[in-house]
Amino acid sequence: MTETVSQQGVRDAPTTGKFEARVRWLVRHFRKEWQIYVLMAPMIIWFLLFLYKPMYGLQIAFKDFSIFRGIEGSPWIGLEHFQTLLGNDQFFRAVGNTFIIAFLSLAFAFPVPIILALMFNEIHHRIFKKMAQTIVYLPHFISVVIIAGIVINMFSPSTGVVNNVMGMLGLEQVYFLVQPEWFRPIFIGSNIWKEAGFESIIYLAAIAGVSPTLYESARVDGATRWQMMWRITLPSIFPTIVIMFIIRVGNLVDVGFEYILLLYQPATYQTGDVINTFIYRQGLQGAQYDMAAAAGLFNAVVALVLVTAANALSRRVSRTSLW
Amino acid sequence: MSAVTLRKVFKRFGPVEVVHGIDLSINAREFVVLVGPSGCGKSTTLRMVAGLEEVSDGTIEIGGRVVNEVAPKDRDVAMVFQNYALYPHLNVAENIAFGLRLRRIKKDIITASVNDVAATLGLSELLHRRPADLSGGQRQRVAMGRAIVRQPQVFLFDEPLSNLDAKLRTQMRAEIKRLHRRLDATSIYVTHDQVEAMTLADRIVVMSDGNIEQIGTPMELFLNPINTFVAGFLGSPPMNQLEATVSYADGGPIAKVGSDIAIPLPELRQLRNAEGHPIIVGIRPEDTAVERNGAANAAGIKCDLDLVEPLGSEALVHVSVADHPVVLKTETRGAISHLSDVQEFFVQPDHIKVFDQKTGLALDHPEVA
Repeated sequence: MTETVSQQGVRDAPTTGKFEARVRWLVRHFRKEWQIYVLMAPMIIWFLLFLYKPMYGLQIAFKDFSIFRGIEGSPWIGLEHFQTLLGNDQFFRAVGNTFIIAFLSLAFAFPVPIILALMFNEIHHRIFKKMAQTIVYLPHFISVVIIAGIVINMFSPSTGVVNNVMGMLGLEQVYFLVQPEWFRPIFIGSNIWKEAGFESIIYLAAIAGVSPTLYESARVDGATRWQMMWRITLPSIFPTIVIMFIIRVGNLVDVGFEYILLLYQPATYQTGDVINTFIYRQGLQGAQYDMAAAAGLFNAVVALVLVTAANALSRRVSRTSLW
Repeated sequence: MSAVTLRKVFKRFGPVEVVHGIDLSINAREFVVLVGPSGCGKSTTLRMVAGLEEVSDGTIEIGGRVVNEVAPKDRDVAMVFQNYALYPHLNVAENIAFGLRLRRIKKDIITASVNDVAATLGLSELLHRRPADLSGGQRQRVAMGRAIVRQPQVFLFDEPLSNLDAKLRTQMRAEIKRLHRRLDATSIYVTHDQVEAMTLADRIVVMSDGNIEQIGTPMELFLNPINTFVAGFLGSPPMNQLEATVSYADGGPIAKVGSDIAIPLPELRQLRNAEGHPIIVGIRPEDTAVERNGAANAAGIKCDLDLVEPLGSEALVHVSVADHPVVLKTETRGAISHLSDVQEFFVQPDHIKVFDQKTGLALDHPEVA
């Protein structure tokens, strides 16, 4: 049978020559679009080096790993590490804390940038708007180490501004950062302060895309500013909110590990120790790399399940999805 | 239904003045079309009536009440926008009901009103569709439905048909006209399309550079344009305008175009003792003929043929008269072979308009004389 490849390439190729046609199409495509692939190359290399190559090392989660024997030389032990983890109270506490902090963040931190963007949109004084935006964006650009330093200082029992004010009001001073019940509010609150402004940019961009005639039409129809915000702005940026929500759910179990590491201490492990800090302590400080890899794999699988479920749910409910 | 009156209305954006003190009286139930080229201030004027732009100076009255400081929602006007301004997250029924829901009208009344309007506009089958699932014409109908359902005192249309294709535009034009006849509401309609203006309006307001050039019925403006701008704006193709000087022959005034072309002019008082006066001769393409056809007083004007554009039942013949381009419109019924040797065309002096070359004003217009 003679093989024919038309301009459309693969689609018109006979079934028997499908593979060859596809290869030819690819060669032609690369020749034509090589500049795009050159531009993509750094990103692809980064992904391969830092995200795909380490996956090879994931096998130590199923091995009795020793740095002297190496990955290849270490014997397979099946799911033993997972069984150990599931029998470890500290791991369960870390899983519980991860989910509690993640869901509290989702409940309290996720809506703040949306509210901020809606509020910025209502400010019509240009200079005031720019000043307000700059002030709330700034904390994002400060290193997390400095942020942690500021927070530790603010809540210090002797010199902290919070305790000083409480002292002036005649209240008893509290050492917030060693009390487990205060760890989550301080962590989530300071995270909101740091990131909410910057995260509002994406919603502001979405609001900027709403046609001004929708507002004009609503004004003629009799809508107040409040009604316009509820009935036009918010529904118009809803697809963006959904996409951001899915991305957020995907990163749910990744609850700002460095920041927690900088803020927590053994006294607050009870409420502050999360899977990633647990992995850090097990893997790097305790040199149990195989156990840490198992915990990390568990973390990644949970994240994958969450983001897939959120995407499917969103596609069904709101007709908006990430993929 | 309410009358709308604009008195010495100015609009300035910073130092730039875009509307220069216009006066306009629109009667109750009248359909007035503001027409003019882009940037002439017609949309700004409409938006000032709607309350979407503040009036810099002057007053706007709706139903005898000055509304300069009245919010758009309290002016009892409804507006149809060029890009429809439909809420993408609401379906057709919810879009139409939007204004009523804001006014907290009872649900059963809203449903009845929406169904009624939808039936009028042929939208009953589409009530549960979102705007993204509608065609351009259907979207425009929904936008009109949203305006109609509120039963306002005044309807404002801001180039509502500009985004539609030519065929749909013709259909929707007729629909708007029928709707106006049925609703009998005061309507102000902005367009840059002179065909829309001619077909829809009770009265046309021609605007240019923030000023009103002329107000009148479509035929008044077509037959008696006040100046060269109006003459050139209305009509398709527009009126031919030839620079000339006044002279006299056989006891009557003539226009001398170039060195050897003479066009007989109508006997106007203003053309007496005006030898050498610079004028512009206005000839509508429709008033020309390529054959004399027994019209004894029709003047023959020598010309050079440039090209023929057949349009089916008629043809546009592009010629030049003393190097001035002129367009002739002639009925052909499909036969155009005889047009290829046109060397002369005919026009009756009574059909010729004469404008002052310096001021651009028509010499015989009652408002000028």
